[in-house]
Amino acid sequence: MTATAVAARVDASGLTDVGLKRKVNEDHFVIAALQKSADVRQTSLPDQRVFDVLRGPEALIFLVADGVGGRPGGALASETAVTSLIEYLGRAAGCIHQLDVDREHEFLGHLEAAVHEAHQRVVAQSGGKVMGPATTLTMATLLWPRCYLVHVGDSRAFYLHKGVLKQLTRDQTTGEYMVDAGAWTEEMAAKAPMGGTLVSALGGDEMTVAVGLVDLQPGDVLLLCTDGLTRHVGDERIAEILKRAPDAETACRELVADALAGGGQDNVTVIVARTQS
Amino acid sequence: MIQKKVCMVGLFGTGKTSLVQRFVHTLFSERYLSTVGVKIDRKQVELDGTSVTLVLWDLAGRDGQEDITTSYLRGAHAILYVADGTRRETCDQLPELRALVREAAGDVPEVVALNKSDLKERWTITDADEQALASTFDLIRTSAKTGDGVEDAFQRIARATLATREARP
Repeated sequence: MTATAVAARVDASGLTDVGLKRKVNEDHFVIAALQKSADVRQTSLPDQRVFDVLRGPEALIFLVADGVGGRPGGALASETAVTSLIEYLGRAAGCIHQLDVDREHEFLGHLEAAVHEAHQRVVAQSGGKVMGPATTLTMATLLWPRCYLVHVGDSRAFYLHKGVLKQLTRDQTTGEYMVDAGAWTEEMAAKAPMGGTLVSALGGDEMTVAVGLVDLQPGDVLLLCTDGLTRHVGDERIAEILKRAPDAETACRELVADALAGGGQDNVTVIVARTQS
Repeated sequence: MIQKKVCMVGLFGTGKTSLVQRFVHTLFSERYLSTVGVKIDRKQVELDGTSVTLVLWDLAGRDGQEDITTSYLRGAHAILYVADGTRRETCDQLPELRALVREAAGDVPEVVALNKSDLKERWTITDADEQALASTFDLIRTSAKTGDGVEDAFQRIARATLATREARP
């Protein structure tokens, strides 16, 4: 399944694959453009630039969610989370179009509130079951050049800047927390059976929203992905593909192909957004 | 609800993220991971019966490759500069950073956290240097590791933003 969105400055594409071991794809992704537009049907005005005030800047939304495997309802959890977020953003779209420096707090607050609402919806779905459905969520909202990020779980956002791949998110896993605490080395975290266990997820007992942002520059590439990619494809190889691929769609296909060639243990989902240089 | 944007500014590795972690989550990690872009955290503080939410913008540290992205500073209500007592250059560059910040954020309240006070025996700045710095900046020694001075530094910032709130909501 693919989706392509091309905004003025961004070539974006997404791809998801069930992988080679799982029967069901519990990942979901969205690429959406939010536009405030005015369709002027008729006017006698000679200079129609006046209508530009009725048109707002375009925001692009990129979102990946990975239903937690080993629990029932993972696919439904990720679908519910994504649907809930899109609905919330639909209600808060006015905030995006009126966004300026003094209202950035408000906008960031809306993004966090959207994630909390999605969490509550996933929790409600389980009817209070222990180990009910849960999902990761990584969302980037690009209002050029600023890219706002909200993140829960171990899906990831990266960006390629001046040829260097940088990870924008940090995994919310037991392994990461133990390394942070100085109790484990990174090698121990990678090998420990519990190392990859989520300590924060939508629908989970704990849910912590990490918020961040980065200003992109022309030529930068944004990548959102589920762990079906990163467990098989290293950062160097990801950077190589993002640098070499002629367009976002090709980059997605190559990344997914590499994940499958590496074993395809999990569902894999990627979104690549290339800003025009 | 009063919300104030506070930007954490300094060279790389001075402990900006660690100070936020200590203040917001009461955590400290020896692990160093450089910040990419901006990490945002919030913490509510009470000051004389007034509730203030500090929205902490932890900016990627300045290094040889990248300068501070000044667009992140716009709209800031206060700046918390962070310097590392064990690295003299992190203090030496404060006046230059201040000039850069003021160009983008204007003349907003500022505090300098002179961090890593737990490593005092390894400091490369002298007491005289510290006094000189204190003559131009509101300076406070901090340790993200032990927590010393951390609460005070953020309280000072919060008070400073409240003192100027009449001028700028």
